[in-house]
Parts: sequence; structure tokens; C-alpha cells
Amino acid sequence: MSIGEKANTHKEYSNERNQWIGKRIARIDGPEKVTGELKYMTDENYSNMVWGKVLRAEYPHAKIKNIETEKAESLPGVICVLTYKDIPGFNGFGIVTPDQPVLCEDVVRCTADAVALVAAETSEIADEAINLIHVDYEPLKVVTDAEYAMTGEAPYLHPDGNIHSHVKINNGDVDQAFKHADYIFENTYYSPRQMHAFIETEGGWGLVEEDGTLKIQCPGQYAYRDRLQISRTLGINPERIHVISSPNGGGFGGKDEITVQIYLALLALHTEGRPVKIHLTREESVQAGMKRHPFKVQVKTAANKDGVITANQVRAVADTGAFASLGPAVISLAVEHACGPYKIPNVDIEGFCVYTNNGIAGAFRGFGVNQVCVGIETHIDMIAEQINMDPIEIRKKNVYHQGEKSSVGHIVKSSVGTHETLEKAQNCELWTNQNIYKSQPSEPWKKRGVAVSTSFHAVGMGLDKPDYGAASIELLHDGRLKVAVGPEEIGTGNGTVYAQVCAELLHCDMADISVVQGDTSETLDSGTISASRSTYTGSRAIATTAPLMIELLTGTASEMLNIPAKDIDVEDCNVIHKKDHSILLSFTELYDYLSINKTSTKVNSQFYLPKEKEAIKGSGGAPHHIYGYQTNVVMVEVDTLTGETDVLRVVSIPDCGRVMNLQGLEGQTEGGAIMGIGYTLYEDVIIEEGYHKTSNLGDYIIPTIRETPEIETIPVEAPEPSNPFGAKGIGEVVMIPIIPAIMSAIYDATGARVKHLPATPERIFNAMKSTTSSVPMSSR
Amino acid sequence: MKKIQFHLNGKKETVHCPPAKTLLEVLREDMGLTGSKECCGKGECGSCSVLIGDEAICSCLILVGQVENESIVTVEGIGLQDNMDVVQEAFIKEGATQCGYCTPGIIVAAKSFLKDIEHVPTVEEIKTALGGNLCRCTGYQKIITAIQSAARNKFALSGEA
Repeated sequence: MSIGEKANTHKEYSNERNQWIGKRIARIDGPEKVTGELKYMTDENYSNMVWGKVLRAEYPHAKIKNIETEKAESLPGVICVLTYKDIPGFNGFGIVTPDQPVLCEDVVRCTADAVALVAAETSEIADEAINLIHVDYEPLKVVTDAEYAMTGEAPYLHPDGNIHSHVKINNGDVDQAFKHADYIFENTYYSPRQMHAFIETEGGWGLVEEDGTLKIQCPGQYAYRDRLQISRTLGINPERIHVISSPNGGGFGGKDEITVQIYLALLALHTEGRPVKIHLTREESVQAGMKRHPFKVQVKTAANKDGVITANQVRAVADTGAFASLGPAVISLAVEHACGPYKIPNVDIEGFCVYTNNGIAGAFRGFGVNQVCVGIETHIDMIAEQINMDPIEIRKKNVYHQGEKSSVGHIVKSSVGTHETLEKAQNCELWTNQNIYKSQPSEPWKKRGVAVSTSFHAVGMGLDKPDYGAASIELLHDGRLKVAVGPEEIGTGNGTVYAQVCAELLHCDMADISVVQGDTSETLDSGTISASRSTYTGSRAIATTAPLMIELLTGTASEMLNIPAKDIDVEDCNVIHKKDHSILLSFTELYDYLSINKTSTKVNSQFYLPKEKEAIKGSGGAPHHIYGYQTNVVMVEVDTLTGETDVLRVVSIPDCGRVMNLQGLEGQTEGGAIMGIGYTLYEDVIIEEGYHKTSNLGDYIIPTIRETPEIETIPVEAPEPSNPFGAKGIGEVVMIPIIPAIMSAIYDATGARVKHLPATPERIFNAMKSTTSSVPMSSR
Repeated sequence: MKKIQFHLNGKKETVHCPPAKTLLEVLREDMGLTGSKECCGKGECGSCSVLIGDEAICSCLILVGQVENESIVTVEGIGLQDNMDVVQEAFIKEGATQCGYCTPGIIVAAKSFLKDIEHVPTVEEIKTALGGNLCRCTGYQKIITAIQSAARNKFALSGEA
């Protein structure tokens, strides 16, 4: 039996008899967060510290002719000034392709590029030193548009040209399908350069400890990969580097790539053991940080009179900025998801990941699906309207069920809850009473619309990347247990789920569990906090480890008491007799016995995530084995005089498999809804000629509490057979279908379709105007 | 360098620092109180909110020289883990904190808001009061619920409910 098959033999886990799993559980880190007592890594302090700063490129594309550092170096209080010459190892980083220089040598390709580093006694001296570094540039032609970058006219930004990757999925025969279709809809959609806008900007500490270990404390989304990338640049073994990457003041994918870890590492080697701190200002974070890829997506969809979608053709072009980072993986996931959770027999999808001089784009919650879901979902609404069919019915007719073939041509063997989410949507109060709500706008010149959308998002890494989970559980001297799992706490509450699972399986109180995450000295490598994978991965890793701890505890008790291990169980940090539940020994007694006998009190275990057997050639990693699903119903109100739009109500109907923590799930659906509203209506980092026009949160508008609608969560639980608890993942799909749902609700309200996001008041107003352009306008 | 005195979380404090240093920097670097966070440094996000007198103010916009003899309360002064305020307890129970980096500022703003009212606030009132605090994780709904629940508990404790 292969590992993958074995994974599917878990018995369905019932939540009813659980004490912790599936309940509404408050976060374990709540008390230290609400009191401000939690030390984020940017809150740490060292008395002998120095400040680090980064000199960024002055031009979005330029040759470096010379770098002059002498003046900066001679400024009193400056400890070191570093350039590319000071890099002992490989001068590059990047998760997929390490094409981004740590410190640029001969060319800069965007204003995020780093050219030099400074360490100084104070932050002010470091700033002054940065200003004293003179870089002689020769500006080059700036590539600002991805389509232009793909033409022969554009200068090459990297040796192999500007198309970093080109991925395709073909299934059936779209030409024949278009020839015989009753209806064809064809449109082009544009998406914004969304910023993660985590509240904690990139920052952290680097220091060399007395034993020579380089310690990097810096918020991140994969400690082991950060360590690997640091080690390559330093040319030293990863074992000599200790990375602590948790907790994060928000991530959303924006801390998946290296942020400042390598700068900290380089500086720490030149400060004679003094700890160095970098903490980016918001302005520098806006300029240097990752963004979501802006896409241009051309979509052509065919359907028959009965509402069956027969073909979908998609061409997606992603602007990855100057470097690849996770861009190729983003475009691959976009291509895999471009036809929605439907069974369209004929598809022709291609995607391009293209270099420009527009900053850098990389991982961001939703990972390419946000951009492509808009086309298919809008077209399915257009078809429904054309044939006078209910928008939920047409979706129900086209979705695949478990065991059926998806649009990309694979049999979906994991759990699929889409149909049920659509049924819940059909029966939800907002949908059934939509006509009443729509008839009650708050002002006579405002119009309300209600719409539905559905989408999906893969869980885990896909076919071409390794994907494994690991956990360790340790018995502590005070009889408590410590569970260590790699994926970081970036705000999602995964650590609370880990404590729930550990307490459930070891029959104790959650208060008896401490959780460690994101620390290369404490946690085994268990992959990233990304790809909606950490609940699935962590819960299953703990479930494979917990029996080993029970075996250790009961085996030790058996040896101590001469009772057969099979008669012994654990409960509330004691070993008990199975028959009468009498307490035999406390965990502290077991700990003492084990430590006297020099036996480890720690157990650990690994597993490999299930994967599909057959790759879709040329797709760059499709298909995935597991997907989470969600349907959204939203109501908007549009001011017809200004185009301003409010989202008034949101119903989120996720299928994340079995719910592990209801409060955590709602945290995701509510937070995802708001981030989706920001994406659809407000957010876009403006870059002109390679320069950021957006600078801070005053000109980059994220939703405030005033924009928060009423959000209702109705979970659908389609249990995933390969997870011991039936769990899947939820972190990303929660912000996806709300995007086309808002767009269609604007149409429902006004008859105007906005195809260029964000749907700003101007764009909505112009779209409304064009729908009534035949109507004579007033005098002006 | 200047000697500046103020009351911080109920205690008289003296610092020696440039008077143009921001209050936020003084709190974090000189006083070791890192509950207040810097996120935008421009008074846009509310992560650095502290009470000066009874009012919640962005400490990144205040120079320490401006708070001579003022009374300042940070999130740590509202309550620590062994003596939490009803607002803090409600935030935990309702799940109103996620990554938590904005939370101290929101606790301060909520505390200031609840001080002034004698009823369980409406959603609209909360939205007005908390309009200056950005949160990227929660979607704000649980923050609204937590503030209403804190108000109910506050009145229950004081016997006014």
C-alpha cells in the first residue's frame, strides 16, 4: 500500500464526541495579544544593538556604473557599509528561481532593489549614511506593461527574456465547441496590484551568538526555507543558522519570500556580535514589499441553451514585476483554477508570468485564483441571464461532484462541497428575501443588487513540489506537553488548532499544551504556512505523532508498575487504569523516571501529503489533490450619482471539510470577506513608469470598520477522507468568490459591468454612463 | 536631551531624551512598553493609540515634549494577563484578535469609547468610534461584537444593567 492510499483509510472522525476539536475555542494566544504583552520579533530589544538600513534603487531600471561608499563609512557612528562585494556566497534569492540580487552589482530592475546596507549606532546615523552612499547610474528603458514586455521591442530584463514562464492546460476541442455553441461570451478583465498591508511591516534581528551560531529572528512563513536562502548567500551550512520566524503581525503571503532576513544576516557578520535590527517604515514596505500580481485575463466562454457550459478559453498575463519569486507558481495555480469548480469538457487555458520593472509581485492569499475567478463567474451570470435561468441553478448544473472529472480533466477524488454550498446559498435568508431588500435602498438615488458566486482553491503544494508535514510532542518536567509544528502563527490561529488536536488525542486540557511554531531549533521541517495547508498538515502531523507519545507514556508506566500497557491509558496528564480510571502515575512521575533513565521524552513523526498520480503536462503543477470550496451571496448598494458602492451584507458558505474551530473559521471568512471587498472596490498600488505613486496607508485605502458589512458564515462540512479529522483548508478561498459576487451585484443594481478592478466610483460611474449612453444627458 | 516628566499607567516617570522624539518611540525604546505598535508612522492606522487624559491619540504623532505632566495610559496600563479589563476579556472570548498587531491600539480606542457611554453601543456608534483603527485580519465584525459584549459585562459588573 502506498503512502497516498494509506492516507485514505482514516475512518471518518465524528465531532460530536470531541471535547476540543470542532468546537468554538478562544485563541490560546489571546491573553498576551489583548494586553500587548506578546513580544513580536520587531518588539524585541537588545541593549547593545545597532540599526540596519537598506539603500534601495533610485531608478526602476538602470545600469550601475559605480558605487561610492567612503563618505558613508567615515561618518561617525557608522559600523559598516556593505555592497555586493561583501557577499561571501551566492548573490541571489527567490523561492522558485533565485533571480533577485541580494545587493545589486551591475543593474537595478525595480525600485525595490537593494544596492547597499548600513549598520550604525542610531537609526538617524544609519539614514544619514544611506544618503551619503553615491551610486552612479545610467538609466535604461523602463518596461511598464506586461503585454509590451512580451513583444520583441522591449528590452530583456533577464538573460532568457521577459517571459519567465508559460503554462497551458488543454482539454477536449474548444474550436468545435465554439462552432456549435448556442451562446458565446468574450471579455477582458483587469485586476489590481493589491498590497498585503499586514500591520507589522517587515523587520527583525540578526546576531551572532557566542557559540558562533547566526540567529535570525524575523517574521516569515517558512523558517527552513528562509534558512536555506540565507545560507546560500552567506556560503555557510544551514546548521549554523538559527531562524525564528513566528509570531507574525500578519502575513497573507507577503512574508513567504525573503524580506529582510538576508540583509540582517550579512550585517550581523560585520557588527562584532552586536545585534542588528531592521524594521521597514511603511513607505519602504510599500516600495520594497511583494504585491499581488496584476493580471490581464481574456476569457471566451461557450454555453448551450440548457445552461451547460461547453467551452472556456482563457489567456492570462501576470505582471510579476522585476523578479520571479513565486510568480510562476501563481500563474500555474491561476491556470488550474481558471474554469472554476465546474466540469467544462472543452478548455484551452494558457498563462504567462512576465517580467516588468513594476516592483515585485509574489505570493498573496488566493494565489492567482482571485484574478481568474472573475471571468468564468461573470460569464456564467451572463449566460444565466441570456437563457433566463437562476444563477444558482446554472452553477449547480455545471459543478463537478466528488468522483467526477474537473475542467482540467482529472477525476476529483477528494471531498467536494460546492453543490451543497450552492444549496445553502439558495436557501439563505438574503437570497430568498432579496427582492424585499432590493426594494428598500437607503436613499432614492441609490440602488441595491444581490448576487452569488462560487469558487475553489487548492490545498497544499501540487505535483511538482515536495509537501510533507511533521510534528513533535515532548513531555515536560512539570507534566505538561509541548507540541512543535513548523507552520508559523501569522494570525490565522493554527497554533490554537494544534493545541486542540493535541489535547483531544492525549485526553487532557488545552491549558496543559504549549505550542511552538516556526523555529528551526524547536520544530521539524513541516513546510510553509501558505497554500491553505497548515490546518490540514499540522492536524494530521500531530495525529500521527500522538500515538507515539501515548505509547511512550503507557509503555513507561507499564515498565514502572508491571501492568500490561494495554490496560493503561492517559487522562488529564496522568496515566490511568483503563478498567476503573484510577490514577496510576502522574506525568511528572513519568518524566522523572524517564530523565533518570536518560530516555528522551520527545517523540516525532512525519507524513507526506497526498498527491495526484498524473501531472497535466505543461501546467506547472496541476492538478492538486485537495480543494476547499466557497460560495458567497452579497448585497451591495450603489450611489447612482457618484458610483460609490457599499457592500451591505455578505453570506459566506465555505466547505473546508470538517470545521476544526468554529471561531477560527469565522475569523477567516470574515477577514477574507473584507480583504475581498478591498480588492474589488478600493485597493491598488499605483506604479507609474516604474515608480510607486502609492506611499502609505493614507493613499492606499484598506477597508476600515466603517466598511464592514454584516457577515454571516454558514459552514458546509464535506469531510476530507485523507485527513484524520476530515479537515481541508480555508485561508485563501474565503476571499475569492466574493470578488465576482460584488461585481455581479453592482450589475444587478445598476446594469453596469465593471471589468477593470478595483471598481472605483469613477469606473462604476463610467460603466453606468455607458449603459445609458443612448439616453440624452443633461445640458453639460 | 531634556528631562521630561509624565504619569504613565498611574506611575510618575522621568525620561531624559530629545524632546522631539515621538511618544511612541519613548514608550517602546525608553520605557520598554512595546504593546503600542508602529505600523504607518503617520497617524493613519491607530496601532500606536494610547490614552492621553481620557482621549485615545496616535502616539506616533505626539512628541514627548508635548506630554510634560500629562497622564498617559497604554494597553499595558489597561490590563495585563493577571488583571485584564472587561474589554480585553471580551476580545479574547469573541475572537476579536487574530495576528494581534493592531489589537493593543484597538483595545485603547475601545476603552476610551466605552468610558464615555452609559449604554450598550450600536454598531453605528462603534463604527464611528473605531474608524481610525485599521485591522487587516479580522474583518472587524468580531471587534464590534466584543465591544458590545464588553459594554454589557461592564454594566453587569457595576450593577447598571
